[in-house]
Amino acid sequence: MASDTMTAPPLVDETKPVRHLLAGVVFLVLAVAVRAAVSLVGIGESATVAFDRTLTDFSWTLPSDPVVAFLNLVVVGLAIWMIVGLPQRWFKIATAAAVTAVVLSLLIWNYSQPGTVFRAESILAGALFLSMPYLFGAFSGVVCERSGVINIGIEGQFLMGAFTGVLVANITGNVYAGMVGAMLAGSLSTMLLALLATKYQVNQVVVGVILNLLALGFTSFMYDQLKKAEGLNSAYSVKTITWGPLTDIPILGPVLFQQKVFVYVGIAMVAVVWFLLYRTRWGLRTRAVGEHPAAADSMGVNVNRLRFWNVTVAGLLSGFGGAWFTIANSLAFGKNMTAGLGFVALAVMIVGRWNPLGVLAGALIFGFTTQVARDLDAAGASIVPGEFLQMLPYAVTLVVVAGLIGRAKAPAADGVPYNPGDK
Amino acid sequence: MSTETETPAPEQPESAETTEPRPNFMRLFGRYLIEANSVMVTIYSLVMAFFIGAVLLIVSDEGVRSTWTYFFARPQDALSASWNLVYDSYLALFQGAILNLNTLEAFRAGDVEFGNLLRPLSETLLNATPLIFTGLAVGLAFRAGLFNIGAQGQMIFGMLGALVIGFTLNLPAAIHLPLAVIAGAVAGGIFGAVPGVLKATTGAHEVISSIMLNNIAALFLVWAIGSQFLHSETKSELVTKPVNETATLPTLLSSFNPSLRVNLALLLGVAAAVFVWWLLSKSTFGFRIRAVGFNEHASATAGMRIGATYTTTMAAAGALAGLAGAALSLGVGASGITTNTALEYGFDGITVALLGRAKPGGIVAAAILFGALKAGSLSAQPAVPVDISILLQAIIVLFIAAPALVKAILHLRAPRGGLVTLEAKGW
Repeated sequence: MASDTMTAPPLVDETKPVRHLLAGVVFLVLAVAVRAAVSLVGIGESATVAFDRTLTDFSWTLPSDPVVAFLNLVVVGLAIWMIVGLPQRWFKIATAAAVTAVVLSLLIWNYSQPGTVFRAESILAGALFLSMPYLFGAFSGVVCERSGVINIGIEGQFLMGAFTGVLVANITGNVYAGMVGAMLAGSLSTMLLALLATKYQVNQVVVGVILNLLALGFTSFMYDQLKKAEGLNSAYSVKTITWGPLTDIPILGPVLFQQKVFVYVGIAMVAVVWFLLYRTRWGLRTRAVGEHPAAADSMGVNVNRLRFWNVTVAGLLSGFGGAWFTIANSLAFGKNMTAGLGFVALAVMIVGRWNPLGVLAGALIFGFTTQVARDLDAAGASIVPGEFLQMLPYAVTLVVVAGLIGRAKAPAADGVPYNPGDK
Repeated sequence: MSTETETPAPEQPESAETTEPRPNFMRLFGRYLIEANSVMVTIYSLVMAFFIGAVLLIVSDEGVRSTWTYFFARPQDALSASWNLVYDSYLALFQGAILNLNTLEAFRAGDVEFGNLLRPLSETLLNATPLIFTGLAVGLAFRAGLFNIGAQGQMIFGMLGALVIGFTLNLPAAIHLPLAVIAGAVAGGIFGAVPGVLKATTGAHEVISSIMLNNIAALFLVWAIGSQFLHSETKSELVTKPVNETATLPTLLSSFNPSLRVNLALLLGVAAAVFVWWLLSKSTFGFRIRAVGFNEHASATAGMRIGATYTTTMAAAGALAGLAGAALSLGVGASGITTNTALEYGFDGITVALLGRAKPGGIVAAAILFGALKAGSLSAQPAVPVDISILLQAIIVLFIAAPALVKAILHLRAPRGGLVTLEAKGW
């Protein structure tokens, strides 16, 4: 679908009004649903925001009912604007604003229940921590797809990393060796993808799905087999790193300076991947191979070799992301413990438009949603059933992929095998 | 599939070589065996998958692994332990899926009746039934160039749809059962149409939206089972109300033995396969599906409405997966479904469709094979890890999807028509 779109007629009716109309209707329905739910279940007097770790005696209360009503009106207004027609350049801003307003009103509504407090610092710190698997998975996807190979197997690489991380940590007794093992296991999985995608030119989406299944089957099988032996799947953990007095800064301290090594590596990777992609010779070649492999080839780049190594190295990132599930959470491996988050990571990559900074933003949004859902669920104070809260990341992905992004522009040669013979 | 290749072509130019004897049937058959045609690739994929499975069984078993540590001192220990492990494991799969040799002994001695012998086969077909539907759901979409990995979610909604009609209404069986089955298809179809509509209107890729819908459906199922409307009135654990007797799928073989659970849905599945075959090869709709799958740009140029085709194909695929759900909630789950009833039949549908090469006949055959694996692994656990069925399935279809890999590993010859491989497509 990629390289030949220049001459072909449009496949689907992409005229803007349809998309705007659809988005408008969706938001209108959402606004009505929120309104109905609020008046049906009722809403508390006020919602409280607290700085729970640094300024423990300070909190901030806002009247919930009027604020939710106002946000509701905002969503309705934006939806009507979309339906009657708005300039294209405003569409994305309006969508983002509407999504924010819906999420905020839901948040305030839920935290207006008596006994619940929006513990800002814990929640934001947790959100950053929870965004890490999305970040690593999406970076793996970015490196692969920028070089023109679709990596739908992030979920499988997560599973391999999560499993191998614990196994190697148990065998060696060293948690850092476990992390390296996780990276190598992820890389092994992508190496298979790379081999099949470049040398054997197989459909990459199909291979990715099969590799996910293979990883699920392999790790579950090994889990049952190794359960028979003692001490191969015990939980290992890493310490939280604190930065002395910096941790006492309100908000910033708990969020940024009191985290596990995974978070620091993740933040560093944003800069590293961005720099490598946009400021180095390797990055230029990678992007060229993903956009126009024939041109890169004629400039002397060995397309398939570069793709092979990029995809193989990208597996190190998703494998490390896999180690997050076990080592960062101090958990033993469990069957299918990644629970589809590898696919959410894929969505984060698309939301982030194959760009490291966009990916960071996307990962943070998803981490935040997940953390809030968990927090409300754990408090038992949620009005919405826990299962619906857990649906949030997936539902947001769906809305964002369909509404906000629409047809996101993937690298032009993404998923198209390159055969130097038939230019 | 390729019986024609066995008829020799008498005037072959290369047979002009004087030294080479005239091609006879055995020669051609021998050549056929070492060629990477689709039949042989399938067979070799199966063989290699079971070989890799055996290696993994040996490597991961602690007892056997310890015998390998002194391999050079006493190699026979390691070899016999490994052989026994693999033999026992695969025998257990076979006994659970096809024929239990102990029961056969007992039957010979006259201790058990004939029906008991059929039990493994009945379980195989029972497990194959939803796989036929989900395999068709994935395969049909494949032909339109859509990768429907949402069969799991569509099946879950089909399950719920059939269940709701199954226990709320009081009707004679002749109306109630068809109605419940149709409800399953409709629920699955509506849920399946969503990725199609999204792709047609916004361009969102069906793989991502289906995955999200799968997760949403799985969570929805957990909530729905626990909800007041569906939750069992008599049991406290997470299980739904049973469907009425009138909406339960009748079993086929229970006259032999009441434990034979295979039911009418199997025949429905075969009928669905025939219908899909007819749809794809004889109907206008099927022609449109194949045309869009073959070249969407050309189809658009020829005046076909691509978006509408995406939507209807996904709806039809969802309906097929919904039937799988109906087969579950009106069959094995008739006494109440749990979160476990759906297993991974929807995801397995992907492997079934790939192994069956998206053709209805192939899908039925693949579904029976994987149904056998599933039945075998379910009965052989915990001696054999139950997930060996997923593992073997994944390895098999990995090779099927990459015939060039099989060709390279086994040094096969290139077939005359070129390798049968799936077309590569981008986002």
